[in-house]
Amino acid sequence: MSSTFQHHDDPGGKPPALSIRGLRFRYVGAVDTPADAWTIDLPSLDVARAEQVLLTGGSGTGKSTLLHLIAGLVDPAEGTVLVDGTNIHALAGAPRDRFRGSAIGMIFQTFNLLAGFSALENVLAALMFSSVPPAKHHDLAEAALSRLGITRIHATPEELSVGQQQRVAVARAVVCRPALVLADEPTASLDPENAEHAMDLVQSVCRELGAALVCVSHDPAMTSRFERREKLGALVQSTGEALAASVASIAGGSR
Amino acid sequence: MNDWTIILRSLRARLFSTVTTAALVAIAVALMLVLLMMRDAAQQAFRRGGGDMHLLVSNDQSSMVSFLNGVLYANPPRAPIAWARAQQLRQSLPLGDNGYAIPTQLGDSFMGQPVMATEPEFFSKLKPNPGEPWVFAQGKAFEADFQVVLGAQAARATGLKLGHKISLTHGTGESREGEHVHDEHKYEVVGILAPTGGPHDRAMFTSLQSTWVIHAQDRRERDAAGAHVETTAADLTDADRKVTGVYVRLATRADSDVPANLPQVFDMLRKDPSIVVASPSDEARKLLVIVGNIDIVFRAMAGVVLVSSAISIMIALYNSMEQRRRQIAVLRVLGCSRPRIFGLVLTESAVLGVLGAAAGLVVSLLGARSVVLLMKAKFGLVVHPSLSPDVAIVVAGAAVALAALAGLVPAVMAYATPVAKNLRPLA
Repeated sequence: MSSTFQHHDDPGGKPPALSIRGLRFRYVGAVDTPADAWTIDLPSLDVARAEQVLLTGGSGTGKSTLLHLIAGLVDPAEGTVLVDGTNIHALAGAPRDRFRGSAIGMIFQTFNLLAGFSALENVLAALMFSSVPPAKHHDLAEAALSRLGITRIHATPEELSVGQQQRVAVARAVVCRPALVLADEPTASLDPENAEHAMDLVQSVCRELGAALVCVSHDPAMTSRFERREKLGALVQSTGEALAASVASIAGGSR
Repeated sequence: MNDWTIILRSLRARLFSTVTTAALVAIAVALMLVLLMMRDAAQQAFRRGGGDMHLLVSNDQSSMVSFLNGVLYANPPRAPIAWARAQQLRQSLPLGDNGYAIPTQLGDSFMGQPVMATEPEFFSKLKPNPGEPWVFAQGKAFEADFQVVLGAQAARATGLKLGHKISLTHGTGESREGEHVHDEHKYEVVGILAPTGGPHDRAMFTSLQSTWVIHAQDRRERDAAGAHVETTAADLTDADRKVTGVYVRLATRADSDVPANLPQVFDMLRKDPSIVVASPSDEARKLLVIVGNIDIVFRAMAGVVLVSSAISIMIALYNSMEQRRRQIAVLRVLGCSRPRIFGLVLTESAVLGVLGAAAGLVVSLLGARSVVLLMKAKFGLVVHPSLSPDVAIVVAGAAVALAALAGLVPAVMAYATPVAKNLRPLA
């Protein structure tokens, strides 16, 4: 195993990888959404360090939007998202981008590799915007690709198979040793065999790194891979009830 | 992997667009530089016209006309100066050992090439370019009457060789029907000059006396009611002996090209109403101011091409933005900030300008060299274009700055690219 993928010990007192409170989001000008309805209305969600969570839900329940909110790519109307203890939405501009680059890895359904760049360069691109010293970039990128079984590191995405492309995307997502990996339908573009292999790699690499994994998927085959599974609609309801109970308990206590 | 890798990959990904837009910038830069180089070369050629003379004395309407006719061979001067007056000038001016007062007469031509009648001193004392004496490509200067020396361009235009014999035409226009040809006397070509880059290259030179003789021949035949008469130098009268100009160089010290007494001599000659005195260097300067407007038009045209190339850069980058939104979104997810994205696109635009400017510099040098060869081969004109580093830096810098400016709109588009929207799977 490469030193790059050593497990991070989780010393006591460290914040969870992800902590969401009172998160609400609505697309501005969405014509099919009632004015008082939220696209995302999530009272709370905590993901411990190195924990792996599968988020499911029907189309339009805002799974991808939730990942974008967590990554700080869109701003919520209300609520907070703490990634590795940092309120990502309290950061603005370049600091938020830098934080995202170093604390969050993202894996996409269509991989979103940079066309025209080699596998190695795609991974180096992630390191380029991180705080990792440039002298280490090449070794780290090569180690990440090697760990994920990519030998043709100078091949462009167009020259790689779909499965290999996904593995390059995984290497890119984890090379900066993020606290949190967000996977948005990571197997939707793969055949069952490649999908299983890809998920084996994603999950094992996240475990090795001690990175929490939040995976969004429609694929029923994914269910058995995760000990913790959350259905987005139900999550809203259950955490809302828990929060209400908590509020009632606090209110009752105060009385 | 760094920002340059991203920029160069982006340029390579749109290779055709990159090459064509850079080529447009190169053309604009080259055009601008060649124009500037040629303008400088043309100015030098104008200034070279007067050679090392200080003053031109004539009887033309004005000093500018005197310069145009007496140096640039625009037209034959209309009024002559009597030979006695020319001799008087020669004796009265402070010429010293190294000065001269060389009489000249214009009025004849051969196949459209002007013929200047003068004295052998024209070749031994006057320098067509300061510090550079005449060089004979073939033959030698005329030593007797009815010998002619050809300027480099005149030799090329007429196709005459050493030993050829010709008759001169009265007037300086292209050989027109009905023009009088002095066919009683034949001139032999005895010398062909090397190019000087000045107006004398297109002239032919012969002795004053032979010119006086052929005109005296006309006079005497008129007097004889058209009957043929033989005319020699012995038949010349004082009225036949006239010149149209005197090239003057005053005595100078060895370490100076301009004599201290030049203003006084100039003023003294100017007070004589029977002559017009011109300073060729001043007239050349005035002429350049007049033709400078054309120069401005040329520079404006080159500027328009430069701006057009900048617009083409903007359009090329603008069109590429649609295809690059996903790449920009991915870079943002990886931690690239909006200002850095903005800078990447702006730098990419400036790089197009740098590539174009560099290519333009090379093309301009090659182009100027081609123009030099073409001018020499086709017209016998020698021009010496040179590219001042300052001018090259200013033009290339302007091209790069314009290119960067052209990248502003695409850079703003890149800056404002919504990340989440562009990460969605393609339909």
